[in-house]
Amino acid sequence: MRKLPLALSALALLAGSPALADDVAAKIGALSPAAQAFVQDEARLALFHLTPAKLADAFRGRTPEEVAAYVASLMQVAQDAAFHPGRDASAIALNPGASGFNASTVLKPAMFDEFRRDPGPISLDHYLFQKTGIPTFAHAPVAIRREDLVAGKVEVAFIGVPLDFSSGWRDGKHGPMALRSTDGLVGTDAAAGVDPATVLSLADFGDLSIDYMSVERSVDHVRFMVGQVAGTGAAAFVVGGDHAVMYPDVAAMADTYGKGRFTLIQFDAHAEAEATSEHTLSDSQSLHRLLADGVITGSQVVQVGTRGPETSSADTARLARSGVTMLGMERIEKDGWDSVAARVIAAAKAGPGAIFVSFDMSVLDPAYAAGAGRPVQEGLTMREAVPLIRSVCASGKVIGFELLDSAPILDPTYRSAQAGNAILHACLAGMAQRKVAEKKG
Amino acid sequence: MVSRSSILWAALGTGMALAGVALAQEIVIGEDPAVVTRAPTPPKPLDIPKEAEAKLTALTPDQRAYLKSGESRRVVKPEVMFKRFESLSPKEVANYVSALMALKEQIDFKPGRDKDRIALDTSSPLFNAWTLPRPATLNPKREAGPISLQRYVGGMGMGIPTFANAPVALTPEDLIAGKVEVAIVGAPLDMGSGWRDAKNGPLALRTAMGAQAPYGNDMYSMINPGTALRIADYGDIAVDNLSTERSVQHVREAVRTIAKTGAIPIVVGGDHSLEYPDLAAMADVHGKGKVGVVHFDSHYDAGSDRVHLIDHGQPVYRVIHEGHVLGKNYVQVGLRARGPDIDTFKWMREQGMNYHTMVEVEKIGWDKVMEAAVKEAKRNTDKLWISFDIDVLDPAFMPGTGTPVPGGLTMREAQPIMRRLCAENNIVGIDLVEVAPYLDSSYKTAHNSAFLLNACLAGIAMHKKGLTKPHWLSPLSASSKAPLGKEYP
Repeated sequence: MRKLPLALSALALLAGSPALADDVAAKIGALSPAAQAFVQDEARLALFHLTPAKLADAFRGRTPEEVAAYVASLMQVAQDAAFHPGRDASAIALNPGASGFNASTVLKPAMFDEFRRDPGPISLDHYLFQKTGIPTFAHAPVAIRREDLVAGKVEVAFIGVPLDFSSGWRDGKHGPMALRSTDGLVGTDAAAGVDPATVLSLADFGDLSIDYMSVERSVDHVRFMVGQVAGTGAAAFVVGGDHAVMYPDVAAMADTYGKGRFTLIQFDAHAEAEATSEHTLSDSQSLHRLLADGVITGSQVVQVGTRGPETSSADTARLARSGVTMLGMERIEKDGWDSVAARVIAAAKAGPGAIFVSFDMSVLDPAYAAGAGRPVQEGLTMREAVPLIRSVCASGKVIGFELLDSAPILDPTYRSAQAGNAILHACLAGMAQRKVAEKKG
Repeated sequence: MVSRSSILWAALGTGMALAGVALAQEIVIGEDPAVVTRAPTPPKPLDIPKEAEAKLTALTPDQRAYLKSGESRRVVKPEVMFKRFESLSPKEVANYVSALMALKEQIDFKPGRDKDRIALDTSSPLFNAWTLPRPATLNPKREAGPISLQRYVGGMGMGIPTFANAPVALTPEDLIAGKVEVAIVGAPLDMGSGWRDAKNGPLALRTAMGAQAPYGNDMYSMINPGTALRIADYGDIAVDNLSTERSVQHVREAVRTIAKTGAIPIVVGGDHSLEYPDLAAMADVHGKGKVGVVHFDSHYDAGSDRVHLIDHGQPVYRVIHEGHVLGKNYVQVGLRARGPDIDTFKWMREQGMNYHTMVEVEKIGWDKVMEAAVKEAKRNTDKLWISFDIDVLDPAFMPGTGTPVPGGLTMREAQPIMRRLCAENNIVGIDLVEVAPYLDSSYKTAHNSAFLLNACLAGIAMHKKGLTKPHWLSPLSASSKAPLGKEYP
């Protein structure tokens, strides 16, 4: 209790009020003008987890000389943190002498196959009705090359992107393997009354090549390949991998369909809006980079389910300024799920018509998706997520869907992988519903 | 603060100076970027079957030379190619070869088209924030020295987990003031693995039960390493989990700082990339070629000719290539993973490396292999580093690791050799890497890893006491009948 008035007076002082006659004010007054300005910059202090009140407490027990040294050390840290040309390295050297520098991403033309085949998706089944045991997404046939997608008139191509770097925990790289190996992505959707595999033409396009030592080096190839798939007219269903994958996926959509021609609906506990990293890409900054690079504009973006401690107020303010529609968990808590779900559908319908869904497993509560790279408590239930995904995917032309940050090792049960498949299946059901309705006219 | 800049400058200086003007500010792994790799093995030239000659009449001299070079093997097996030629006209064969050559052009690095570096965002206000030390002025004043986290005189501690339940040292001054002999430090670097989670290795070792050093005697030596040695937990070294290349620079700096105080650094990983900055730091402190290494691993880790200059499969190559450790002073134990080819083994022999594979263990038995490895470890240098990848053990003992390989050592093989190496040598440092706790739903991996470190701590304590005779075991605990020596008067 004794400290309260002191802290308040220091706050008032640091906010520019007239100097108060206590020892803290005198100590601050004795600082250099630059140091005085520094201790009044609350945003900067927040970097050190300091507030004016905490600072006042710290100053109280120190001599004027010690206060000066304290502030000087903070200022030195802030200065050292920034890039200094000539001192800091601005790039990471690779080994151009490596034989096969690009071998992992160079596509092998069909002419070098040992055995010839006509293009088209390849069924891995021995039997007409019995599964053969080689796991593929949705038990779909395999398309190896772009020509296979074209020949098969494939409408939905699953693509594994096992890219996994900056997650709080790891193992997003095994997301594609886990979802292929788990049930939940086949059969009739009872609510929609359709079996997506019957209504739509599905294929598993396999995994893309990733450089496990660099997210930066991985994404150009992902962008190219997802663009190849989108170019056939198929909806790209990308299974990650962490949320850095959103960057090349959305960029490929902009490359294929044109900038501003689609709505991005991002289901995610994380805003992915970090703006201060020295790396040019990671999961936590993928949306920021898309906006900053002009790949999309904020008005194209709807975020659902964001929560948790990772998004700073500065990030939120920046997203709001750029026009992003933010429907975080606090909005759901306030207005109720039905109201928020209706707003998501309305936004999907109000956009240019094409929809790209980015679904991070962390949007679900860890009860449903313990196996997510960056889980956050208090998330959506499956009974909220599944119907909304189905409706969203029925509300317009789905040009792509990504399911990211499924990290199976973090969940020794089948639950997270099955939940991931149920989300993918819900979108397929919505797409199938829409196709059936369109045919009926 | 000035020293911070100068340390970073020193760490990056060599690479910068040699990388030329245009790339003046790259992180360059290696001290001589002019020779960054062991020459790649050239492709085996192709023997062109006589029957095929009739189909090759339309080839240009360049195309013929390419075909003979054997480069095509990367794309298509020779027998498949020549079989295909049978159904093609000479003109079509020429097109086929021309397509192969175009593919090679795509595969090889091409300046201008391919990026030879990964650019960072220099506009970040927090560019260096990950390595900045917390200024001492922010803390309450205290004398330098390890910080005890014990509240009670007796009891089991206060619940804050540290390595070996040791007090915490934050600065080199703490290590010096505490006359710390062993500083255990975490380095949660985790990138290249098949599976992930090595970043949680340090956490797992800190929270592992059963091996906290102060809680009793090691029965094999009848020494309590926790009381015989001054041990500290030096916390974790900052890593950039988006770049191994950036991380290893800082690890080298931090390990060097520890070693310069005279403490033995024990680096808990993290992945095996760490062996490189660890041994580079040893060369910084003790001089190049002065330290020998025993490398326990199911993998040879001497890969090269990769796009990245360092990852967890290349540290041995990088260490030897840069001369931090001489090949003849490398002893490898437990190798068995698939990968190294005949040329690789030849290269290892050319370097004078001493390798002891599980093939050898199968052939002559573990006891003989252990004797040979211990002897070799002592032969050329009087300073020894142990680089211990836990996947040298069988996955039965260590399921929680990124690249497990069956057919490995047992704990009853690994513990004695760790104790012996640490007792019979002057240990300058240890790394224990690739503990990935999420891959093991049991306590096993962390528990066994902690006991291996404990065996080595007991060994270091034995060395300090002068108990350095080959395979010395306490006669007191070894038998209820054996006469006690002068150690137990």
